[in-house]
Amino acid sequence: MLFFSFFKTLIDHEVTVELKNDIQIRGTLKSVDQYLNIKLENISVVQEIKYPHLSAVKNVFIRGSVVRYVHLPAAAVDVPLLEDATRREAANEARKRNEK
Amino acid sequence: MENLTISDPPPQHGIPPQGPPQQGGGGPMPQMPPPMGRPQQLPAQYFTTAAQLLDLTDKKLMLSLRDGRKMIGILRTWDSYANLVLQSTVERIFVPPGPTNPRGLYADIPVGIFLVRGENVVLLGEIDLDKDDEDPPGYDQADPELVKSLAKQRKADDQKKEKNKVKKLADLGFLGENMGELLL
Amino acid sequence: MTDQGDEGANVSEPLDLVRLLLDEFVFVKLRGDRELKGRLCAYDSHCNLILGEVEETIYVVDEDEEDEEPRIESKKSEMLFVRGDSVVLISPHNE
Repeated sequence: MLFFSFFKTLIDHEVTVELKNDIQIRGTLKSVDQYLNIKLENISVVQEIKYPHLSAVKNVFIRGSVVRYVHLPAAAVDVPLLEDATRREAANEARKRNEK
Repeated sequence: MENLTISDPPPQHGIPPQGPPQQGGGGPMPQMPPPMGRPQQLPAQYFTTAAQLLDLTDKKLMLSLRDGRKMIGILRTWDSYANLVLQSTVERIFVPPGPTNPRGLYADIPVGIFLVRGENVVLLGEIDLDKDDEDPPGYDQADPELVKSLAKQRKADDQKKEKNKVKKLADLGFLGENMGELLL
Repeated sequence: MTDQGDEGANVSEPLDLVRLLLDEFVFVKLRGDRELKGRLCAYDSHCNLILGEVEETIYVVDEDEEDEEPRIESKKSEMLFVRGDSVVLISPHNE
């Protein structure tokens, strides 16, 4: 759940989603779900001329499984907090393993 | 599904895991709160697949499929697996500019009602109706049969190049991302 | 080796190694002919990652050139989320 929670903190920020088919879509992050499906609003496509099917599209729903990267605004990310959350999540996972 | 509102409880399961499931270690999902009368700011069910698709229902959408095809139609219904039903669907075929045609070409082929299994969805784009009447920049509409045959030829060429590329990169120890599947 | 739940230096599972790399520079190899170098800020059990100060290396094969070696392209990104299903390996990066 770490990354689901993390992306929720980035709602309303500008991000660039790079898909596994190399399309890069920049837009305002509006929604995310537990599978990391992503909704972007007011999108612009890097190298638009190569992707004519997106020319009339303003908002997109992107299936999480086709995402390669999300380029994030570094200013919106609290790195120490993120590292703490990661350690906590790792400790939780380890505890779960031990209980089994 | 049409009557679902954002304040309804989310479907019990959401869509099934895709790729690596995003649910850690099989642990229980945090319980969603019960439906609220008037959700004020960002209730938990705002962050579900259902809420994301609800906004798109009854709108004209561009659907990009995993095999590279582009469908345009009106989203009528969907379920918790993100299986979709599109109405008045056309498949839009594009041929990028190349040796055979200096400008890009496209054609729409009507396919009627179209049901898609969720796992084949790459993205769903909401079409800006103001821009919808214009041709995509650099592209002209052309005869469907011509576009079909050019697209077929182009696809065969691309597959040859892709094969060559995978072979070269395999020598460097790389693994094709889509294993030869053309995603565009 | 008694308490793997706490943050010790012991490595009993593969991802414990990744935990020790938090806040360090790492090398990540990906599917799709890509490599990344960057500071590891977050990860989870699917190998989803967040890297800071990232340098991406892409191996590109130019079309129509039968015998040429792949060309190397380099890109930078200040902060990057990487989806776990693309990750092939993660290792410490030594300058």
